[in-house]
This record gives sequence, structure tokens and C-alpha cells, in this order.
Amino acid sequence: MTSLVTARNVSKHFGSTRAVDDVSFSIEKGRILGLIGPNGAGKTTLLKALLGLTDCDGDLSVLGLDPFKQRKQLMQNICFIADVAVLPRWIRVSQLLDYVESVHPNFSRKRAEDLLSRTKVQKNKKVRELSKGMVTQLHLSIIAAIDAKLLVLDEPTLGLDIIFRKEFYSNLLADYFDEERTILVTTHQVEEIENILTDVMFIVDGKIMLDAPMDTISENYVELLASAANAEKARNYKPIHERDVFGKKVMLFEGTDRSLLAELGELHTPSIADLFVAKVKGASA
Amino acid sequence: MDPKWNEDQPIYRQLRDRVITMILEDILGDGDALPSVRNVAAEYRLNPLTVLKGYQELVDEGLVEKKRGRGMFVTDGARKRLMKDERQKFVDVEWPKIVETIERLGLSAEELLAASESANKPEKNDD
Repeated sequence: MTSLVTARNVSKHFGSTRAVDDVSFSIEKGRILGLIGPNGAGKTTLLKALLGLTDCDGDLSVLGLDPFKQRKQLMQNICFIADVAVLPRWIRVSQLLDYVESVHPNFSRKRAEDLLSRTKVQKNKKVRELSKGMVTQLHLSIIAAIDAKLLVLDEPTLGLDIIFRKEFYSNLLADYFDEERTILVTTHQVEEIENILTDVMFIVDGKIMLDAPMDTISENYVELLASAANAEKARNYKPIHERDVFGKKVMLFEGTDRSLLAELGELHTPSIADLFVAKVKGASA
Repeated sequence: MDPKWNEDQPIYRQLRDRVITMILEDILGDGDALPSVRNVAAEYRLNPLTVLKGYQELVDEGLVEKKRGRGMFVTDGARKRLMKDERQKFVDVEWPKIVETIERLGLSAEELLAASESANKPEKNDD
């Protein structure tokens, strides 16, 4: 497999604050990686480092380039949607297409127009006249029309209603993603993307708490729904987290054989959201 | 339409089961094309690899065949085979339980036939 991104001992300090603290990971081609973390965990700083928008310590290579030093080259093969609407409000849709066409060598105007024709976005409108959902559609249409190897999405659906959020990910899979492309996405709405991901990474206080392919989650983690009577027995297997649901205990285990737990209650594969809570709380306890 | 996935089984497995149900209910007939991986992935917001894995299971079971460059198709005789399996499963697994209940309740064959006849009467059966 070819690594698209390799980070070795990457750190970024702001004064005494370690926004990113000695992280190492890699991202392979054709994967969809979800970067999950609470506010202030270092997600955005890490993304900025990957995009060459900030320098950092350690070895970081994106598409074989040093993002900070070779940013111009890198930008030809990367797309980025930030958590804030960055499109200027005064620009017309048609002007925006002119602009991207003039600056980006891998942009297909025809494709962008095809994609836009499926939405309600009109080309003569200014960004300020579009609804929030339409701005996102516009953004995605432009990005899907750029032949980029890596797409970085930072909270792409923030502030959108549920219909637009679902549509965003549907369009992403229908129009953008294929095995030649790689997506890195951060979001708070984990449950919305967990079925899309091939890999998941948890980041807390600048450190990576989990970095795993999605299909190994069910092998390594199991959630047990145990009666109070069985809970004591189950504790012998050292759950990393437990919570109460309707008078029963929900316990989450890491690396414990399912067959050992089967007689103590119902077993499930935990959702990413539950796993995240368990990992973060388990670490601070 | 948003399908509900349960947590007991991997999604690719549930996807496979759905296709099998569609074949059994004759929504997908012999030789019919399965929806493309990309369409299913986009519509249900699933990773394309998940969809592919579900389809691959069906290929391995001989219920679906891959035609190069054209997609996935229901194999000839897939429904017939599934029906045979389902019938056998009913006879082996469900029927003994039903027989047990019938015996426990002391129902006679005549009573049951009469009951199923009156249950069938209101709607016209085209069989």
C-alpha cells in the first residue's frame, strides 16, 4: 500500500500549550479517515499542518511533499473545506467559477457546472444571496470538479440542517469518492459518518488515543449489556468504561474475548460515539 | 429512505440479507442487475467497501455474478435455490416448533384446515 500521508513524531506548540503532541500515523490511498476529537483537541491544528498552513516539528509528508515548504505544489492535488464559510460573500457564482478555473490547473469547469445544475444554485447569484445549504452545495460542486488526490473536510456540515447534511455525504460518495481518492474528515456528528469511514482516529489533548481501521473495531471492542447481578463478574474482565441504562450496566471492553462475556449478557459492537466517550473518560479517570 | 441497521450484525451482512429478501420476494428476478456499488453507497451513506463486501458474499454463495464492466447480476435460478433452502429451513426449524404447539393445544388437522380455509376466504387468492 502507498501512504498518502505520513506523520512521524509531529508536534506543534503554542507557547507552553501542546496543540499537537508527538503524533505518528499514516493514511493510505482510497481510505476515508474520520478524525474525531473534542473542541480544542488539536484537530484543526493538525489539519493546518497537513495543509502546510502552519509549520510543525517532526517529519510530515503529504503526497510525498513537505506541506509547509512545498505548499504550492501540494495545493494542486489537495482540496479543503473549512469549518467556516470562506467564500467571499460579494462574489457571484459565475465569477467564482472563473476564478477557480484561472488558478487551479486540475479544475474542470464543465463538471462543476454539471453538478451545480442538479442543485438550486443559480450562476448569476452572489454567495451572500444563497442559503447556507446552497453555499455548501456550491463548495462541494467546486471541490468535486477538482481532480485532487486528497480531500480534507473540517466540520463540513456544521450549521446545516439534517437534509443537507445527509445530502452532502451522499453527494460526496456519488460524485467525488473513488478508490483513487482519499478523504480526511473531522466532525462532531460522529454517528452521521461512521458507516462511511474506513478508518477512525481519536485525538484528545493533542495525542492520538485510537487509530484503527473500522473493520477491526468489532474485533477489538465489545459492549456488554449486563444485569446488576452479572456486572460484578463482568468487572473481573476490566471494562474500560461503564454506564447505566435502564437499571442495567453497559460495559465496554477492549481486547476481551467475546466468548468469555457471552454468558453475562447481550453483546454488541459499540458505536464510534460510545467508544469515543469510553476512551476519553477512561483515559482521564 | 433510510434503512435501520442493527448492531448485532455487520452492515455488509445485513446488506446481503436485504438482497436475498429482495430475490425471495421476486423484487429482483433472475438476470436482474443489482444497483451499483456507488449508488448504494451514496444512498445509504455507506463506505463503498462495505457495499462491495456484501455483494462479494452473494457472489461467493453463487447467487449473484459479476459481469466485467457491467456490474452485478442475479444468477439464473437464484430464487429457486433460495426457495428450496427456505422451504427446507422451514421444515427443519420452524415446523417442529409449530407441531409442538399444535400438540400442546390438542388441535386436530380438521380444525386447522378449516381455520386456514376461513382465513383465506376474504381475499381472493390468485394461486
